[in-house]
Amino acid sequence: MDAQKSKTFQEIKTVARQARRYVLQMNHHAGKGHTGADLSEVDIICTLYMAVMDRGEARPDQDRFILSKGHGAGGLYCSAAAMGLLDPAVLEQFMGDDTLLAGHPVHQKLPDLIEINSGGLGHGLPIAVGLALGNKISGRAHRRAFVLLGDGELAEGSNWEAAMSASKFKLDNLIAIVDRNRLQLAGKTEDIMPLEPLADKWRAFGFEVLECDGHDPESIHTAVTQPSQGKPRVILANTEKGHGISFMANVPSWHHAVPNDQQLAQGLAELEE
Amino acid sequence: MQDLRDAVVSTLIDQQEQGANLSVMVADSTSTSKIGPFEKAYPDRVINVGIAEQNMVGMAAGVALSGHVVFTANAAPFLFARSNEQMKNDVCYSETNVKMLGLNAGFAYGPLGATHHCTNDIAIARTLGNLQVFAPADASQAEAIVKHAIKHKGPVYIRMDSDKLPVLHDDYHFIPGEPDVLVEGDDVVVFTLGTLAHEALAARDHGCNPTVVSLPSLWPLDELAVVELIKSHKKVITMEEHALSGGLGTIIGELILKHRLTQPLQAFGIPAYEFTHSSSRAALRRQFSIDTAGLVAALNGLSTAAAREAANEH
Repeated sequence: MDAQKSKTFQEIKTVARQARRYVLQMNHHAGKGHTGADLSEVDIICTLYMAVMDRGEARPDQDRFILSKGHGAGGLYCSAAAMGLLDPAVLEQFMGDDTLLAGHPVHQKLPDLIEINSGGLGHGLPIAVGLALGNKISGRAHRRAFVLLGDGELAEGSNWEAAMSASKFKLDNLIAIVDRNRLQLAGKTEDIMPLEPLADKWRAFGFEVLECDGHDPESIHTAVTQPSQGKPRVILANTEKGHGISFMANVPSWHHAVPNDQQLAQGLAELEE
Repeated sequence: MQDLRDAVVSTLIDQQEQGANLSVMVADSTSTSKIGPFEKAYPDRVINVGIAEQNMVGMAAGVALSGHVVFTANAAPFLFARSNEQMKNDVCYSETNVKMLGLNAGFAYGPLGATHHCTNDIAIARTLGNLQVFAPADASQAEAIVKHAIKHKGPVYIRMDSDKLPVLHDDYHFIPGEPDVLVEGDDVVVFTLGTLAHEALAARDHGCNPTVVSLPSLWPLDELAVVELIKSHKKVITMEEHALSGGLGTIIGELILKHRLTQPLQAFGIPAYEFTHSSSRAALRRQFSIDTAGLVAALNGLSTAAAREAANEH
């Protein structure tokens, strides 16, 4: 790997670490938030924005990102703040009255960051499929639609309707990333509604399936930027809910728990190490 | 006589020729929508997602994000029932540029039964937010509404029918919200939803002389113009192939209350808590007196029972 790339991945790690600090502080301040879900996704979001997506031109001629797991809004806001796309001072408004930072993303509030309002689950993939298809029809096949899916939301049938469409329309400009942390609100995905063999399911629907370490920018980057096989791509990003904080990692209750004073101090200390 | 769908499709072709950047999405509903001529002219602009309405509406929002003006065209009962959350979140809440055609609304699928009857779409549509809601009575209104929908940036619902019907206007000037007064009569004003305008107009062939109004635009709605029409008559009747809860009768009733009007309102539609049965459209209209005979009986001051009897003799 060349030195420049290595430097970039190191930068992404630093930014993601800052995003994690913001997640703890923001959710602690608000007394609300999906802390575990936020910490699960920040490395993926930071890698996409910092090293993958071309957002140079004005819409619609851009690579675009859709957060299907809308309850991870906090992870998106904090990543944006850490990347310099959002004033960190705004994080204090999270889930307050009339806030820019709603509990689930609202396009009208942050039009440059949020493509579409999300929160109901099973919506992001159909939207991304439509966007990728619309780009192809309009002669912008090089413009990609990225969508981040929660693994729990894959129980919604609309995902599989969309997967069929992505395959039918040969959308090689669609990249779906599954935040595969194996936990959902009520417990383990494999106990509640088993998804495995997940890779085989996507393959059967006509997708190119790649896996990566969803907390390693280099691994994420490698999966996203592999040469296309002319098919829609899904990346199963192996992640941990609550990743980065010892007492949150892989603990179901942190799906939507928030740190108290002592937990905040301990979490921030761990992020210094 | 013209099918509203033909008017819609020829308008879409015309607008696309003029550079409108349209895409049309169907859920195996190419024949239902009669979209063929548009597809022939612009094959890459018709997207068939199969029988998957949730995905169709979600994808429509995505295609709209790519810059297209997107029409969805499928059977109204499935649009509203299957994709309600996508309509709410991806289209209305997000204000994406999607226009939804609800085909064969009301009793159009009569003998196919209640699974295929769409009799609560207006009630849902008018509570979604950010959604303009239209129901054309004929081809001239349908054409004007489609042109408006393309120009309007944001979500639109158009309640469509599939019968061949007389064209009501040679040169129709559509203003969103404006009531379309088809004939001026004497004591009674009849407000009609969609193609029921034709049933109401036919009452004049039976010696009755009501004012007949079509409301092609449910939202926006020029309330004061409607209120003036109510004020200038002694009685109000509404006719709709829709549940009485939340439909045209409710809209007019709300205006009567809001503006403290005293005119009595008689609303013909489907009573609350009733499921419709598998019957011809004519029989279903007769059952609920949502037809010319029912209106004539009401205008002649007959009781509901007598009105039904009169309607059955029709």
